[in-house]
Amino acid sequence: MRTMIPAAAALVAAAALAAPAAPLRVVATTSDLADIARAVAGDRAGVRSICTGADDPHMMQGKPSFILAARDADLWIRVGLELEIGWEPVVLEGSRNPRIQPGQPGHLDAGSLIEPIDVPAGPVTREMGDVHPSGNPHFWVDPWNARIIATAVAERLAALDAGGAGAYAANAASFRKAVDERMFGAAALAKIPGDELWALRAAGTLDERLKREGIAGGGWDAMMRPLRGARVFTYHRSWGYFARRFGLEVAGEIEPKPGIPPSGAHLDRLVAKAKSAGVALILQEPFYNARAARRIAEKTGLPVVLTPISVGGAPEAKDYLATIDTAVARLAAAKPSAEGARQ
Amino acid sequence: MNPIVRPFAVLAATTLLAGVAAAQSAPAAGVPSAPEPAPGLSLKKVVQSFNPDVSAVLDGFYYYEDSAEGLGHVMEELSGFGHAHGEGEDAHGHDHGIDNGFNLRHIELIVSASVDPYFRALVNAAVDEHGAELEEAWFETIALPGGLKLKAGKFYSDFGYINAQHAHQWDFTDQPLIYRLLLGDHGLNDKGAQLSWLAPTPFYLVAGIEGFQGDNEASYAYHGEEPLPERDAPRVAVGWLKFGPDLPGCHGLQFGVFGITGAHQEEYDGDEDGTHDQWLDGDSTIWGADFIYRYDAPKPYAQGDLTVQGEYASRTKSLDLVADDLAPEFVGSAREDRQDGYYLQTLYGVLPRWRAGVRWEQVGLTNEADLPNGESESFDPSWKASAMVDFTPSEFSRFRVQVARGGYETEEGTEEATEVSLQAIFSIGAHGAHKF
Repeated sequence: MRTMIPAAAALVAAAALAAPAAPLRVVATTSDLADIARAVAGDRAGVRSICTGADDPHMMQGKPSFILAARDADLWIRVGLELEIGWEPVVLEGSRNPRIQPGQPGHLDAGSLIEPIDVPAGPVTREMGDVHPSGNPHFWVDPWNARIIATAVAERLAALDAGGAGAYAANAASFRKAVDERMFGAAALAKIPGDELWALRAAGTLDERLKREGIAGGGWDAMMRPLRGARVFTYHRSWGYFARRFGLEVAGEIEPKPGIPPSGAHLDRLVAKAKSAGVALILQEPFYNARAARRIAEKTGLPVVLTPISVGGAPEAKDYLATIDTAVARLAAAKPSAEGARQ
Repeated sequence: MNPIVRPFAVLAATTLLAGVAAAQSAPAAGVPSAPEPAPGLSLKKVVQSFNPDVSAVLDGFYYYEDSAEGLGHVMEELSGFGHAHGEGEDAHGHDHGIDNGFNLRHIELIVSASVDPYFRALVNAAVDEHGAELEEAWFETIALPGGLKLKAGKFYSDFGYINAQHAHQWDFTDQPLIYRLLLGDHGLNDKGAQLSWLAPTPFYLVAGIEGFQGDNEASYAYHGEEPLPERDAPRVAVGWLKFGPDLPGCHGLQFGVFGITGAHQEEYDGDEDGTHDQWLDGDSTIWGADFIYRYDAPKPYAQGDLTVQGEYASRTKSLDLVADDLAPEFVGSAREDRQDGYYLQTLYGVLPRWRAGVRWEQVGLTNEADLPNGESESFDPSWKASAMVDFTPSEFSRFRVQVARGGYETEEGTEEATEVSLQAIFSIGAHGAHKF
């Protein structure tokens, strides 16, 4: 066996060198990662997604077609943080593709690049439901994280295809610019560099600076401004990154614990909390049943905002930017309940 | 208690190490950091450790059936499928006789991990009230080129669909009759090696060949003691092919064909005096086909998911009468047994976390024996219909109620029996993802 390993490695290397310069094949576990990868890869790589926006990436099953996609992939991009733990190992093992196994250059774990939230502080037990011990995996809904992913995809593609390094870097830069423009508006981006806009926004001094320089704020940030500080209910613990970015406060989830469907008693508690805590609205993905949200809405008057969290989760969410556009537009259009509205 | 306590100790140690790792981990260099570091969120890196996945699966059920002598006995007497005496229960460490009342299936203690960049390994120790047995202990390659994979150790053959599944993965409390009758309670699980190949075709195609030592309790029994001849191991060879079209999105479909052949020996105690008086030696061959279709509905908690699956297997035992103390005149003559069977089952996610399923099965549609004395026998088929409903509070627990009615052919005629079981399955620790 010992002599076999170097021999096998040599064979793989030889196969890689001998391979014609065909376009790279990128497989992403979710439609969001795939869309960002598509923007970065341009026409130098074919990008395929395992989940569609209508699927729950927690609950997929490793199918033969997924194994086929993984078999041929040069780069595998996953959300990570154990989101795909129920099916990804079976697909990766079944693919017999050494290039995309964890730890290889062809395996990009997006979750390891971002700042995770909801990392359990104490010991984790399954009494807590389907918690993710390394942090909340729904990070792509924060546009800042989409920028991080784009940059990382460009670096990884360049490592696999040095000839395209320039194109990948340029594509990633234009993706970041597109995100920045949607986030802050073209006027702001014309005067202040994107990175600085994010830093100012994070420091809480962006509005002041724009006012001082007489720049009209725009984009998602401006549209979401009236909702800053608003308390919301979500269905699953999936909007935390989005809420943090735009200053919403998640006051409760319709699921009593992650992965556990709601009970009547839990909904009653939420109704009471909606009143006592001044909750403004309910935000959830369309693939969860909206009955529970409507039940709370009936008793409290809270608006229910149904919006996809992933590319393809609704017809409007045709790409990453459109997905965030849709969420922001639907939230901005929702009329927060009177007692929930805060200045 | 010790083998059960140990995984908990490992789990505790894992948690401890993870905590230490978390305390020491620093933000990865070179990664652009978010300009909004909220207090308490400085833990950047995913907590990592080199510890293997350790899990225990508890599987118990309450059982009631109304047959006169017990269905375990009926199975041994089932026309065409009857056990040869001296095989079965005492050939393996623990039998799976099911009693009316409370039953505890063996507890699986599973440890698995990548060994290094080249190999993955798994150990599965099955522990029950009477002792422990090594159910699986194998390694497989993860970096062979050309779609090849080599696996060796003690493992479940990958032929068919259900054989490679652990009991806790079954969609019904019990395995299909044809599996139990042809391969016993453990299926084809043996020491051996497997080479499989994922073809570079535009559809899913995997081919596998396996060689096993050959000590299955039912179709590949081996005694090797006088007057039976010694047969060299490995005594069982398996080949299979799995095919799946590249279906979009929510649909998954796989077809399989398989063949198993190997040495088989039988000993009988014809006059029931406690010593064997008839010995047969020869080969047993099984061939068959399987399919599974899964629809993964875009709804949470598995609501609307649909599974349809079925398998067919046919066995031919070709044996020579090696010695016979009661009828020595037929020594040297051949005996051939031909039996088959199938099951068809479907499951549907009727409500969030609730599934309902039905299974129909028949064994012995072909059910013939050509005896050494030149006579031939044929028997009627047996059948069974099962219905189950299960509730899955989380990915780690499941409760199931199952009702079955069957008609079983024995020498004494048809015995109809009803079975009811209430089952609970719990999985603790880090358990690997299940195959399609």
